[in-house]
Parts: sequence; structure tokens; C-alpha cells
Amino acid sequence: MKSGARNRELLALIPVAALLTAGFAGVFAQDHAKLGNASLVYGAYFFAICLATHIYLRIRLPNADPYLFPLAALLTAIGLVMVYRIDQHLARDQANWFVIGLILFALTIQFLRDYEVLERYRYLIAVGGLLLLLAPRLPGIGQQVNEAYLGVKIGPIAFQPAEFSKLAIIIFLASYLRENREVLVVGARRVLGVTLPPLKHFGPILVVWGASMFMLVFIRDLGSSLMFFAAFLALLYVATGRFSFVVIGMVMFVLGAWFFATTVPHVHERIEIWLHPFNDPLESGYQILGSIFSQADGGLFGKGFGHALITVPGSPSQTLLPAAQTDMIYALIVNELGLFGGTGLVLVYLLVTARGFKIALLASDGFSKLLATGLTAVFAIQAFVIIGGVTRVIPLTGVTLPFVSYGGSSIVANFVLIALLLLVSDRARREAVEPGGREALALGAS
Amino acid sequence: MQYDPISVALKFGFLAVLFLFVLVIARSALKDLRRTAAPAPDATGFHAVPAHPEIPYAVDAWLVAERGGGLEPGARFDLIGGLSIGRSGEVDVQIEDRYASGLHARVFPRGDRFLVEDMRSTNGTLLNGASLNGEAELIDGDTIQIGDTVFRFEQ
Repeated sequence: MKSGARNRELLALIPVAALLTAGFAGVFAQDHAKLGNASLVYGAYFFAICLATHIYLRIRLPNADPYLFPLAALLTAIGLVMVYRIDQHLARDQANWFVIGLILFALTIQFLRDYEVLERYRYLIAVGGLLLLLAPRLPGIGQQVNEAYLGVKIGPIAFQPAEFSKLAIIIFLASYLRENREVLVVGARRVLGVTLPPLKHFGPILVVWGASMFMLVFIRDLGSSLMFFAAFLALLYVATGRFSFVVIGMVMFVLGAWFFATTVPHVHERIEIWLHPFNDPLESGYQILGSIFSQADGGLFGKGFGHALITVPGSPSQTLLPAAQTDMIYALIVNELGLFGGTGLVLVYLLVTARGFKIALLASDGFSKLLATGLTAVFAIQAFVIIGGVTRVIPLTGVTLPFVSYGGSSIVANFVLIALLLLVSDRARREAVEPGGREALALGAS
Repeated sequence: MQYDPISVALKFGFLAVLFLFVLVIARSALKDLRRTAAPAPDATGFHAVPAHPEIPYAVDAWLVAERGGGLEPGARFDLIGGLSIGRSGEVDVQIEDRYASGLHARVFPRGDRFLVEDMRSTNGTLLNGASLNGEAELIDGDTIQIGDTVFRFEQ
């Protein structure tokens, strides 16, 4: 079992490296009209980095889930190819962030082996997470991008705090709900046929709701607002098993969002662009229309690597697909790899989610279960928010496509997220296989 | 430059490998599902029943979780050798209950009888709704309440 899981991980990394190599070869074939061995070199580098991480996992977490890391590596590989295809310099940054992300990944595994310590510092973590969310609004260090306050710049270091605060808030919520879920369930009463949580424990729910509404209006970060609140509802549902709480939360969110959509111009504008992009096709609706056209242009199997048009041919300053390397990278992937490529990518996210929930099922204590659920939920919802935005299912908002979009904060934070999931997984599966461990899980040994 | 064969081959090769990869992992996930779907439901509950493989299953008394404590309702704990109940990690039946003490109560055999004893817990133990002082004998159907957690004794 022990080596079995890691052997499967190693085996799964091989096709990932092959995909990266093929992707780079495809971009080179278009760009330089000749195939050098550069793509093989990049593929070998990538494989070597993954291999080093794999060996580290073999030593530190021999029982952890075998597919989570290869899936994350696959997403990174697709991201690297696509970012390289847009701009070589950005791709070099991205590759550096990938390595830094893996270093933090290893450090997390090294120092948080007993991740229960997180529970002890939960209020500190929660305050830290909220401060991170507020930071972009602070004068001096905050940065405004596209009317939203997303970035922080301290000296030479710029980052997106929302990516890190999502980890902090999930850790806090998992710990808080682990302790209070009983009270939430037992104290619940039925009012007019709806099961309501006890009033005095309603507070935290209101706080999270308030925080996400605050983000909507003052940080103007619609995507993160939706992401946090949906992850919170997922956790609340898993912790209490009461679907009515989820419905109440959704009604509260929809009412709040509707209220602000009608009163706050920024939010209202986003909704208008989403519903009627052709009202102003050359200004506000330009980006989402570019995305839709670009995806339609891809057809079933795509135009091939390097064949998508990001700028008007002949005039590089005129972009057809604004923010192609961040928000719109999914549209670019669909353009170059077609509906099949896009579906494949969504399937990879789905598999990560499935592995995450599997880890939550196997985990033996409440905190581990809720932590794994929350981290998985926030990851999945983030992917949904941006892919949904780009495909015009929901209003387009600026969150990154995890591991794929260009951006250091996103890659680093998501590798820490995967590290936490692997830590939970390693313990759960070790308990399952050890003699005298929990009987019901001995089946994991086969 | 339009669609040279290498580029097209690489694109389809990429898609093929991507989908094969997804397929293999999905298949393994499906196998996992079949494995986890079959056995005891407590595999997915918040707390699993501690297994005592060394003790034979010739048990004639159980504690059955009724509600609360983060236990699956209906979870059964055999009473051979006795059980300690509490919130800490060292007890036999760990419950998640704000009102439970680390070592809250124990149930143990004496002769062919079973007794419940409150281990000087902060918030006390209720036996059939009445406060328990020291120890008391259990008969079939008795309920033991610790905070919001309720067990039924079955013989």
C-alpha cells in the first residue's frame, strides 16, 4: 500500500511531463516553424522538479493521496504552455512561481505535520485572513485593478491577498464549525416549517455573510465574495447536515447581492455587461464578447497551439482577448484546444474535487473532515467562478483559474492548499492501513 | 503556415493523452467509490466505531449512540472490558460535545451486571433524565446523557 500509492503518483507524473513537452512542441512548431529540442529540455526540467517533489512526498507523506499532486502538476503544465504561448517572459516568471510554490508546499508539509495546531490559533488566523482581505483597500499599499481592489504592493512585492486569505478563512471556519456544529443542530428550532439555527449561534453566519457583502461593495471583488460565501455554505452543510441552513444562506446572499446590484453602480455595471454585452460591444462588453468569440472560434478540437488570435494581426497593441494570461486563459485554451480541451480541463478540476472529498470521507476527526471539505470546496468554486464567468454563465469576475492563470499568489496559495489536503490524506490513510486502525477502513489496503 | 501536420498531430496527441490521463484517474476514483460504498456506514460518519479485533464478538451488552456527540446515531459500542466516555483523545468513546469533560463517565462490568459511573465531570451525567451520583446499575433500555449526547444501554 505504502509504496503503491507513491508508485501510482510517479506513474501519473509521466503523462503530465509528456503533455508539457507536447504543448511546448506545439507552440514552437507554430512560433519558429521548426522543432528544436527546447521543448524536450523544458519537459525534462519540469519532470525533474516534479520528481524531486515526488521523492519528498515519498519520504514525508508515504500514504497520502496518489493523484492530487499529479493533477495539480498537470494544471500547472497546461498553464505554463499557455502563458508561454502568450509571452515568454511571463512564462519564465510563472515557472519561477511554480518552483517557489513547490518550496512552500514542502515547507507546509514539513512544519504543519500536526495540523491541529492550526486550531489553536484559529482566531489569530481568522483576523489575519480578514486583514489580508482589507489590505488592498488600505492607502499606500493597496492597488486598484479594473476598479476592483485586489492587489497589495509592499515595496517590490506585489500579491493578491484574497488568494491567501481564502486558506485562513477556511481553516478558521473548519475549526469553528467543528466545535459548534452540535450546538447549531441541537439548538435549532422550526419556525413556519423552516429549521432555523439558534439565534445566539446565528452570529457567525451573519459575520461571514456581512464579510462577503462587504467584499462585494468595498473591495469590489465579486468573485472572491461568491467564492467565500459558497465555501462557507458547503462547510455549514457538511458540519450540520441541515439543508435548510444552506437555503437560508443562499437567500441571504441573493437578497444582499440583488440589493447591491440595484444600488451600487460598480456591481450594477457588472450585471449589465453580463446580461447585455452587446449594449456596448467596443467598451464594457469587449472582454466578454472577445471570450465568447474566441471560444466559438475553437470549434470541437481547437485551432492548435499558437494559432489563436490574441491581438489583431499586424497591430500588436490592439487586443482581441484582453487579460488573456489571467482572467481569459480558459477562453484561450478553448480556442486552441477546442471544446474537447476545455472539457478535459474541467474534468481535471472535477477530479481534484473528487479526490478532495474522498480525503474528507476518509479522515477520522471532525476538524480534518471539515478542513478537507472546505479547502476542496473553495478550490472547486474558484474554478467554477472564473470558468462560469468566461463562458457567461455568471457575471465575469476577476479570480484566477487555479494553477493555470498567470500569477504568483495564485500558484503559491494553491500549492499550500494541496499540501494541507495531502497532510489530511496521509494521516487518514495511515490510520486506515495500520494494524489495529479503524476496521472499516482496512479496505483501503487492497 | 495554416495547419501544418506536426502542429495538428501535436494538438490531437495532447488531447488524447489528456483524456487518457483523466480516464485512468477517473477509473481509480470509481474503484474507490465501489470499495467505500459497500462497508459500514460509519466509514463516512464523523466518528467511527473503535474496533477491538482482539476481543471476540460474544458480547451481550452495548452502548448505542442515540444522538449528538458527533457519533453516527445507531453506532454500537460493545461493553466487554468496559468503556470510558469523554472529550479527550484517550478515552474509548470520544464525543464532540461542549459540555463533556475530558474523561466524563465510564461504563464497566461487575459480575454479570453493568454499571455507569460519573467520573466527577464538570457538568454531570444524566441516567434516564435524573442526575447521577457516583455509580449506578444499568438495565436494558436505560439512557445515559452527557451534555447533548445520548446513549442507550442494551443488554
